[in-house]
Amino acid sequence: MLTTLIVIAVIVAVVLFVIVGAYNRLVALDQRADQSFADIDVQLKQRQDLIPNLVETVKGYASHERATLDAVTQARAAAAGATSVNDKVQAENMLTASLGRLFAVAEAYPDLKANTNYLELQRELSDIENKLAAARRFFNNAVSEFNAVRRQFPTVLFAGMVGFGSDKPFFDVGEGERATMTAAPPKVSFSA
Amino acid sequence: MAAVGLQTHIWANNTRSVLLLAGFPVLMIFIIYGLQLVLMGFGFLPGTGRGLGDDMALAASWLGGTVPLAFVVAGIWFAISYFGSQTMIDLMTGARKVERKSEPDLYNLLENLAISRGLRTPTLRVIDNDSLNAFATGLHEGQYSVTVTRGLVNTLTREELEAVLAHELTHVINKDVRTMVIASIFAGIISVIAELVFRGLLYSRGGGRRDNKNAMPLILIGLAFAAVGFALAIVIRMLLSRTREYVADAGAVELTKNPDAMISALRKVEGRSSLKGPDELQQLFLDNQPNGVGLEGLFATHPSIQKRVDALVRFGGGRDPGPWSGGAFAPTPLDYETSTPVAG
Repeated sequence: MLTTLIVIAVIVAVVLFVIVGAYNRLVALDQRADQSFADIDVQLKQRQDLIPNLVETVKGYASHERATLDAVTQARAAAAGATSVNDKVQAENMLTASLGRLFAVAEAYPDLKANTNYLELQRELSDIENKLAAARRFFNNAVSEFNAVRRQFPTVLFAGMVGFGSDKPFFDVGEGERATMTAAPPKVSFSA
Repeated sequence: MAAVGLQTHIWANNTRSVLLLAGFPVLMIFIIYGLQLVLMGFGFLPGTGRGLGDDMALAASWLGGTVPLAFVVAGIWFAISYFGSQTMIDLMTGARKVERKSEPDLYNLLENLAISRGLRTPTLRVIDNDSLNAFATGLHEGQYSVTVTRGLVNTLTREELEAVLAHELTHVINKDVRTMVIASIFAGIISVIAELVFRGLLYSRGGGRRDNKNAMPLILIGLAFAAVGFALAIVIRMLLSRTREYVADAGAVELTKNPDAMISALRKVEGRSSLKGPDELQQLFLDNQPNGVGLEGLFATHPSIQKRVDALVRFGGGRDPGPWSGGAFAPTPLDYETSTPVAG
């Protein structure tokens, strides 16, 4: 009788231990992914701050490129207003695309291309793009790790009960940008 | 649980380190038991006068007294190295302390990393030497120090240097220096005991005051214990050291968010890291490869560069440009060259 009780107690203790351990791992990985999203956010905010300046500078030389400039301004407003991860990803991809068009248009204006202010802004933006790419890769890595651990046995059995029922979304780059990044991080195309 | 990413890779290696460290006290008991058996076999310690099993049981019953004694010795040994380590390391490597004024870029890199983790900036030291290496030293806050060679500073790009500093800073954060000092003290004590056993065998053929009818089997079993314990102590120490290197590589990626820089830094260091130092220091190096061949995988303080790069590619999502042959690595889309001056 006593031995049966002890055996049951030990089994319950082991199961509890495993569950608590797995839960704590999930919490830590979840937290880590959220934190690395904050790193992306910092870069996104910096990029948004540079844009009004850029638009003003370009306007001085190429004011009739209204459509392109408006697209950038609108995309910036949308990006600044986005709150959820999905909205942010979408808005930022739009912004990246419209910025790409703006820089392409600017190619036709030699005076603009020689403007030191414009050059400085372009350099800063490309620096931010690079940091953004690194932060995004780290975030996607953290997300894929969270998702993988969440789906592991035995975690998958109770993940739903403790609020980790679904996979975290990746920060997916837009289709247009993906083409230019195919040589780059292999992990980015990982939207399972 | 299997590693599926950077954080789980770090967890897996940390769990492994704890298990390995726990192995040392077990080995110590093991080898003390071996010593007792040998001493009993030679008649320096009294036997039961009955069968081999009884003698072995008697030796086991002494462990209650001898093991605590051994741990007291280990504690005293640790206390001495605790206070002596920094001075010893400084004397042996000729590392020079540098301030912000003389190396502003390097100092700022380290300081920024330390601030991002809420640490007091460790002392920065430079060895004027052409080899490419770095190490972290110090057993407690205020004593922590990160040392890099001049060759490293001259050869690596800013991002790579940051990755190396982050690797060393991770050693500081994880208190790996202390872990490795503890490991080398245990390994040291175990090898002293093993040496006592082997030497005893050479010099005391005559035996002690008492005769033991189980002399031969006792000595042989004791010797086997000593030999296995001695070998395992070294293997565990090296395994532990290699585990900490993986964690430090992964930690550097956590800090810098840039696995590629850590990989290319390792590739540049590969084969160019030779730096002299005592064993206690060599295990702290950024890279340290044994000169010999053969069992080097088992007795190396560091995993091979290839293995470390593979781990970073697999768990950190980095890209491996392959072995370095001088010059710049082909720029990758993420390899941002910062021509801007570093913001203070």
